[in-house]
Amino acid sequence: MSNAIQADKVMDLKGLPCPMPVVKVSKGIKEVEVGQILEAQTTDPGSLTDFPAWARTSGNEIVDTIQENGVIRIFIKRNV
Amino acid sequence: MDAKTRDDLLQLFQSKLNRAMTYYLETCTRCGVCTTACHVYQSMPQAKYIAAYRAEIVRRIYKKYFKGQGKVWPSYGEAKELTEMALEELYEAAYSCTGCRRCMVYCPFGIDTQMIMSIAKLLLVGAHAEPEILTLLADTSIEKGKSIEFFKEGFLQGVKNLEQQVVEKWKLEAEGKTVIPVDVEGADLLYVALAGAHSIIPAAAVFNAAGENWTLSFFEAVNFGAFVGDPTKTKLILDRIVNEAKRLKVKEVCICECGTAYRVMKQLSGKQPFEVSSVTEVHARYIREGRIKLDKSRFQGPVTYHDPCQIARNGGILEEPRYILQHLTDDYREMAPDPRYNYCCGGGGGLVALGEETLDFRMKSARVKAEQVQKTGAAILATACENCHTQLENLNHHYKLGMNVQFLTSMVADALVI
Ligand code: SF4
Ligand code: SF4
Repeated sequence: MSNAIQADKVMDLKGLPCPMPVVKVSKGIKEVEVGQILEAQTTDPGSLTDFPAWARTSGNEIVDTIQENGVIRIFIKRNV
Repeated sequence: MDAKTRDDLLQLFQSKLNRAMTYYLETCTRCGVCTTACHVYQSMPQAKYIAAYRAEIVRRIYKKYFKGQGKVWPSYGEAKELTEMALEELYEAAYSCTGCRRCMVYCPFGIDTQMIMSIAKLLLVGAHAEPEILTLLADTSIEKGKSIEFFKEGFLQGVKNLEQQVVEKWKLEAEGKTVIPVDVEGADLLYVALAGAHSIIPAAAVFNAAGENWTLSFFEAVNFGAFVGDPTKTKLILDRIVNEAKRLKVKEVCICECGTAYRVMKQLSGKQPFEVSSVTEVHARYIREGRIKLDKSRFQGPVTYHDPCQIARNGGILEEPRYILQHLTDDYREMAPDPRYNYCCGGGGGLVALGEETLDFRMKSARVKAEQVQKTGAAILATACENCHTQLENLNHHYKLGMNVQFLTSMVADALVI
């Protein structure tokens, strides 16, 4: 697997029911320091719209998204 | 609480006082019939979990500020001031009620406790005392609606990646068409799913097997504005889908297995140039019209069905899931009491979305649901709502029910005769 960005914390959110991916990532982001990177791994296409919308709403930033082998890896920088 | 905040909150209260609400607030005779109707009280018999007691917390504030009697003589009729402490009581009342409306079916006056609790929820939103995560989820949905162009490409790519799974599992091509079509103007049916692949893949298999001219929505069906009780946000979230349906000129908007999404779309979208249906209704229609065939031998053991409150009691869909199940099993076990009086799973009203935070309460307050399910002796517990499914899985684990909890849509997809 290519790994463009080194994450400070990785969360496996694959196959979780609605709305747990966003609920868990909202908690998870508080477990990294401001400026650090959280990697969220999912298999849900909805995450590709939900996570960027959540990042805008919560003031954080998606710095990269990689889709490989059916897994979606979303790299989020904690800004607030 | 300062005077300005109180005034603002009372204005919100006032905005809820339509005829039906006034009737509900002024009618209770404290007959007590609703006491054992509530699954929370039945599972945890404490006065604060009685439907009429919850309502009384709102009613006392109503008496204090909106009824002549309370204004003049607050001690008469137990009028109560709106204070920080009252907000705490409102929180406890509103977020221990799942909005299932079982109490309403029993009340001789048809008092709708869920509707009274919507005042409590709105006051909490106004005081910024609501569960933060529900507002964040609602705001995320609204943000998505505003900037869909920005997110489109990623979503389309994500959906493309699912198509292979549909083709591989069901050996199903969509007759030269895209397996999971998105953004198709002139499609007959707009399917509004949830974010999860499990809400899209089986549904796609069934639509394609039935030869449906369909398209997948960019938006998730669930409405967190409704869970948190914020009418403005509820409308903004709903409008994303209404506008998409109009833009694509579809004839039907089909809501996935999500009770709240279905109720909100069906009851609050107003008159539109499209019909609103649940995926359960659509699947029943396909079977009736001979557009899909199901293999009854696919699932072994007795099957029971949990009616999601927002789809059955509050949405009127009772026959369709049973019709589908007739085509999936010869051993269907109905729960007792009958579907109109079915117990809530214990996860509605935003409680499941609050996750771990509410898990202990959800398990304790739904003991009667676990017992109701267990008494059927079924091996498979089917349902048609994401929220219910999560809660029933949690109950299955907590009470060691040993059941196989299934989405009805997935059962239909897995039993397709291609
Ligand atoms: S059943 Fe109706 S009238 Fe009787 S106590 Fe309950 S809410 Fe009040
Ligand atoms: S709506 Fe349901 S959870 Fe709420 S008080 Fe009535 S029976 Fe209980």
